[in-house]
Amino acid sequence: MTALRTDRLVLRKPTMADWPAYRAFYASDATRFTGGPYDTKSAWSFFAGDAGHWALHGFGWFILDNGEGAVGACGLHHPPHQADLEIGWNTFAAAQGNGYATEAARAILKIAENDHHQRRLVSYIDAGNGASKRVAEKLGARFAGEMAAHDPACEVWVHWEGAV
Amino acid sequence: MKQRITTDRLTLRMLRSGDLAPYLTYCASPRTGGVGGPQPEHKVCERFCAMIGQWALRGFGRLAICHDPDAPAIGHVGPMQYDGSPAEITWTLWSDTHEGRGYATEAARAVLADLFANNWRSIVAHIDTDNAKSHAVARRLGGEPTGAAPAPWMPNGIQYRFTVEGAG
Repeated sequence: MTALRTDRLVLRKPTMADWPAYRAFYASDATRFTGGPYDTKSAWSFFAGDAGHWALHGFGWFILDNGEGAVGACGLHHPPHQADLEIGWNTFAAAQGNGYATEAARAILKIAENDHHQRRLVSYIDAGNGASKRVAEKLGARFAGEMAAHDPACEVWVHWEGAV
Repeated sequence: MKQRITTDRLTLRMLRSGDLAPYLTYCASPRTGGVGGPQPEHKVCERFCAMIGQWALRGFGRLAICHDPDAPAIGHVGPMQYDGSPAEITWTLWSDTHEGRGYATEAARAVLADLFANNWRSIVAHIDTDNAKSHAVARRLGGEPTGAAPAPWMPNGIQYRFTVEGAG
């Protein structure tokens, strides 16, 4: 998978041209729900790690491009220390409120329904992150009170349970 | 930089999923004492992905050190560049059992030769003050201490520089 198109976005793998926007996002208070803000070295590790996840697993985080550049990131990932696959989304500050994360995640979920239906697919969302929880609701995910094993402040929103 | 380099005894190739298990073992071992100590597994996995991902972003990066290119790696070697600082080279053997045979020197020498053949003029390395074996490798490779302030992520480090002219 190299790129996906939605009505308003191209979803593609990260390139160096996306780095300034990505770094600015991780340096900002917007990442307070995921342990941020982060210094540049940590942000680089995430950015290069996103690129490397594709090579290792054949899927990963896309950059969301609205035609004027990177406006966010969204993708499936699988940290080996977790049993479940996760879909995550970030919208960079200037582009928030446009529904980009929901639009991108819908397109990715459609592909994932084919390729990853046998695995439980979740989103870990900080209990205080209302904007992200609204995206999860719009996508049809459910929160049934389960908190993440790696972070007790983090809700587990389930997209599908997968084969048992 | 080439993604596959062969030396007399070693193959340097792209890292892949089969190398993650021995890398995790290394990262949980006392051998990481000179590079910040053992890290939680999710950080290690992220760093492993980042070593691979840097290739797609910058066109150079770290390679697996292998006896047999089809078997899991025994270490990693090569340049990495965090934003805002010059690229730095590292050489790391993941287990004590592979030390003392000159593998790190052989691998790093081959990477330096490839970088210099591709128009790099110099590259630095940061080595913990107490990591005597790594200082010996740096000297064998023709590196010179620069006297620069330690990198923020290695406050007990000494910076070496390797140049085309000094390549040994």
